[in-house]
Amino acid sequence: MSFILSILIFFPVVAGILGFIVEKGSARVYGISIAAIEFILSLWLWMNFDSTSASMQFVEFFPIVKDFGINYYVGVDGISLFLVVMTTLMTLIGMTSMTIKTEIKNMVVTLLFLEMTMVGVFLALDAIVFYFFWELSLVPMLYIIGAWGGPLRVYASIKFFLYTFTGSLIMLVGMLFVAYSFYSITGVWSFALTDWYALKFDLNYQFWLFLAFFVGFAIKVPMFPFHTWLPYAHGQAPTIGSVILAAVLLKMGTYGFVRFSLPMFPDASVMMILPIAIISIIMIIYTAMVAYAQEDMKQVIAYSSVSHMGIIMLGIFAMNSQGITGSIFQMLSHGIVSGALFMLVGVIYDRTHTKIMSNFGGLATIMPKYALVFGIMLMASVGLPLTIGFVGEFLVLIGFYKVSPILTILAGTSIIVGAIYMLSVYKKSFFGEVTNEENKKLKDLNAKELWSFIPLVAIVIWLGIYPKPVLTPIDNSVQAMLSFMKEKAITPEAKNMIIATQAAKEAK
Amino acid sequence: MENLVYIALFAPLVSSLFAGLFAMSPRKTFVGVVSSLLLFISFISSAVLGYHIATTGANVHVTMMDWISVADLHIPFGFIADHVSVTMMVVVSLVSTIVHIYSIGYMDHDKSFNRFFSYLSAFVFSMLVLVMSDNFAGLFIGWEGVGVCSWLLIGFWYHKPDVSREENPSISPSWAANEAFIMNRIADLGMLVGLFIIFWSTGSLQYDVVFSQIPNLAPAVLTAAAMALFIGAMGKSAQFPLHTWLTDAMEGPTPVSALIHAATMVTAGVFLVIRANPIFSVTPEVSYFIAALGTFVAFFAASMALVNRDLKRIIAFSTLSQLGYMFAAAGLGAYWIALFHLAAHAFFKALLFLGAGNVMHAMHGELDIFKMGGLKKQMRWTYAYMGLASLALAGIPPLAGFFSKDAIIETAFNEGTLILWAMLVITAGMTAFYSFRQVFLTFLGDERYKEFGIHPHEMYGFVLIAMSPLAILAVIAGFFRDWFNSFIIHLLPNYEMSENTHHLALILGAIVLVVAVSGIILAYKKYAKGLKRSEKTENGLIYKLLINQYYIPKIYEALITKPYAEISKLMWTKVDMRIVDATVDGIAKFIYKSGDGSRKMQTGNLSNYLNWMAGGALALLFIAVASSVIG
Amino acid sequence: MIGLNHYLIVAGLLFAIGLIGVIRRRNLLMLFFATEIMLNAANVAFAAISHYYNDLSGQMFAFFIIAIAASEVAIGLGLLILIYKKQGTLDLDDLASMKG
Repeated sequence: MSFILSILIFFPVVAGILGFIVEKGSARVYGISIAAIEFILSLWLWMNFDSTSASMQFVEFFPIVKDFGINYYVGVDGISLFLVVMTTLMTLIGMTSMTIKTEIKNMVVTLLFLEMTMVGVFLALDAIVFYFFWELSLVPMLYIIGAWGGPLRVYASIKFFLYTFTGSLIMLVGMLFVAYSFYSITGVWSFALTDWYALKFDLNYQFWLFLAFFVGFAIKVPMFPFHTWLPYAHGQAPTIGSVILAAVLLKMGTYGFVRFSLPMFPDASVMMILPIAIISIIMIIYTAMVAYAQEDMKQVIAYSSVSHMGIIMLGIFAMNSQGITGSIFQMLSHGIVSGALFMLVGVIYDRTHTKIMSNFGGLATIMPKYALVFGIMLMASVGLPLTIGFVGEFLVLIGFYKVSPILTILAGTSIIVGAIYMLSVYKKSFFGEVTNEENKKLKDLNAKELWSFIPLVAIVIWLGIYPKPVLTPIDNSVQAMLSFMKEKAITPEAKNMIIATQAAKEAK
Repeated sequence: MENLVYIALFAPLVSSLFAGLFAMSPRKTFVGVVSSLLLFISFISSAVLGYHIATTGANVHVTMMDWISVADLHIPFGFIADHVSVTMMVVVSLVSTIVHIYSIGYMDHDKSFNRFFSYLSAFVFSMLVLVMSDNFAGLFIGWEGVGVCSWLLIGFWYHKPDVSREENPSISPSWAANEAFIMNRIADLGMLVGLFIIFWSTGSLQYDVVFSQIPNLAPAVLTAAAMALFIGAMGKSAQFPLHTWLTDAMEGPTPVSALIHAATMVTAGVFLVIRANPIFSVTPEVSYFIAALGTFVAFFAASMALVNRDLKRIIAFSTLSQLGYMFAAAGLGAYWIALFHLAAHAFFKALLFLGAGNVMHAMHGELDIFKMGGLKKQMRWTYAYMGLASLALAGIPPLAGFFSKDAIIETAFNEGTLILWAMLVITAGMTAFYSFRQVFLTFLGDERYKEFGIHPHEMYGFVLIAMSPLAILAVIAGFFRDWFNSFIIHLLPNYEMSENTHHLALILGAIVLVVAVSGIILAYKKYAKGLKRSEKTENGLIYKLLINQYYIPKIYEALITKPYAEISKLMWTKVDMRIVDATVDGIAKFIYKSGDGSRKMQTGNLSNYLNWMAGGALALLFIAVASSVIG
Repeated sequence: MIGLNHYLIVAGLLFAIGLIGVIRRRNLLMLFFATEIMLNAANVAFAAISHYYNDLSGQMFAFFIIAIAASEVAIGLGLLILIYKKQGTLDLDDLASMKG
């Protein structure tokens, strides 16, 4: 299995193309089996991953365009490993819980294609390969929203596509400039990230390059004020689309910050801590308030995603292992929890064909199992200890506290505002009397739905109680990256900042 | 001994999961029985541990496994049974066991009987995690855990709809539950910040490491940490201004009020101050603030209890007031007295609440004491229990409250904080008055309930027997004061009265006693014969102020809840849709419009195109020439 | 003596005449003539510069252009006749089927 990464990337798409000849009735089963195999492969990767090592593992390298240094170059380290596992898991669970009736074969093929692009993004170590998968991931998503979405689907999908596409074009310019700089220094072209890491730029260049990459990543995350495509996309997308979008696609942006911006531009990153922290805090508080004002249950979850991504962004720029490891853990946690929440909204939407909360009320009496699963995910979302949501949030906040206590307190209001909108959703939908007569006939979760939620609930609790197997590999890679950044930083301010944020005990 | 720690801790969890298995099936009595048994096992283990620690003086410390470990942040699941935590364990598990047994009778007719036991046991587990943890993070786990269980239990009757504040001051159980959770979360942020300060200045969250580092820390850091931790304590212990949730929490079933909102969870804040006493004892300003706030809350809450008509809310205000006493003691440095009052209070307040539960059960859910009266005939035992508990609460010797509360008042005198002392003495009188106002209005006088067609009946026998340990403890707990002192000072700093105070102790005690007894006599005169309402008092300014809780809930609604909702709405409809999104769409529209505009160039007339072409070629030529001239 | 500059001026004038013809004329046939004039202006310039530098490649280019112009006229006139047959006019203002 020395080509495990290539198998992980290309197996779904090959199987997806073969999926066209599968009979229509068995397309769903076919898709689930492929996704299951892919998930098992990713588990195999995890089992064989050396968690004591911080370096890239299972590296594959062969040239595509030799003269321009474009290579097929993939590898995995602690940072990307779990994002890959989460991607395959959420694809599997999403596919299992899928309730789409029309064009099911197309959906299965699209999802498998999407899975390839997502895994590819997380495994790529060559900028061109990264960019290739990054852009390619837009196409299946565009199709999913545009073909299976709600009434405004065309507007939403085009907005999603053009918005993110514009951002990534600016990022591409940045990439080309970095490659050109590499060429002008060394005389050879290279797009390999490991080569790029070695480049030292002037602060001025770093700043502009950081901005170029920032635009691409920030729109994907999405950071305030680039977030408005998200509510539309979520509002119109079918359940499966929202699940994948929230669970995985958004993480590509934050992953990009960790993979590109921090190690390539350490000084600019340190310089940008304050602005990014302020944007993150706006994201946390402002979108939480907007979420509270929503009437549509799905929109609440959509805006809450933005709020949680604010926490993740904050942690990445904490410049210490607590913050960054916490961020990456929070990416996993948010992936699983928000994915599950979108699936839960899908469950009630399938039954009532509405997502407006005023039509619900008293659902806990009619659908106790549904209320229980929703309750667990809600608690994970508000960051209750011993659920997956707490670990990441706690680490991020404790990490960023070292950078700025005041900003951390502001960001920490997320535990308050988060509780406000989530509990009000729960109260409006599940508590009180059953006001809507039609809702009295609703059926509780069926076996299929239950089996797609049980693994998620199990993970939410398992990683809440024992996050260590996941945290250790991440921590190793992050610490290696941080010490690399410390060595690389050219300005003394950045160097001091990175050193200062590490030390636990400061001398008086 | 280590196994006992695990048994004490995990028996409630097993109980919760066991009951949870039946959560969606119809009521089964054995679920309650098994739960109570498991809780009893937990109590026995705690008691054995307590005996072990008392006799050998050795702590039992176990580390189960690592929880979070990143860079130099290491948080294990570690549990310690030492003098403080074992006291809490015994109190918590004892009261919990009794409340569990009580609930078998009380929740008899509730169709969510099994679910109730699952939640209740989960609460006990969280509470034990809170008190037994050997580090601040573990404490925080329990801290949030009890918060969630409290949310679940306050909102236990979630199906009740929202009503107006005039009809029910707590609006609805689910509303009260959310209020409690969110208010606690505000305080929890303070607590988290405290954890962060501690971690970054000592490099650990383990109690022993942190406390050993204290001498090396700057005073400013310690003050900040103490303040942040106390903000956390203020939320959980419902201190002003985060107190409104506690009375609204009375929407939960009465056993919940007894266990969570009287005996255990609300004392977590006091426990935190006691646990972190090395930090608080070196930050005198914060400690003094705690004492002053505690005294204020004691007075403030007692004043609201004076006029309230709701049986459970009166007891809730009284809890608030007693928590104030505990904070006053802890703030003045008498940590062991605070802990002693905490334990004694847990016994008699739980008894009082359970008694109120009996009354409520008998009155078919009616809580207005103006609609009761003369229940003594039907409910002799409950009357005895509640009378006893009220005597203890009022601080009448030789009951538990006398010993613990008197010590606190004496401490205030000893510290020379005479204003605090005076306020605490007055509060003691108020306490006696409102407790007996409630007892007399409920049990003596004319039988007003007959107008409403209610036929009260006494509680089941086994329930009354189950309550008896609490009654016994409410009577005798005070006698253990000296023994408890010698036991607890292994861990907590001793607090001794000065010579001067010692001489005056008798007089001081007598003053308090006189004030308390006159409170009872006043209540007897006014209410024992029957209810005489006076229009004049009830329309008076002070009465209005008190009955409306100083209008604080309304102020919060007007200043916080409503504006928050409105600003949120504004943020969404105006800022997000009209500004942020409109800008994005505006850019898209601009591009679209400019394309639409330039489309007109495409006239279809070749001649026009050729003109454009010629013009373009000339322009390029011009630019080329110009740039070569300039460049 | 007639120098290079004179040739270039003549070529420039010819090109200007052609350009004005391209811009102003409405008849397709006239446009053709105008473009031919522009091509020939280029030819004159090529030939003159080629002579000036004693480099034959300029004159080769002039021949190329003459050949290409001839083939262009052959195909172009054919197309013109087709258009005339179809539309009945060669006036550009009447041929606006490509309007956007």
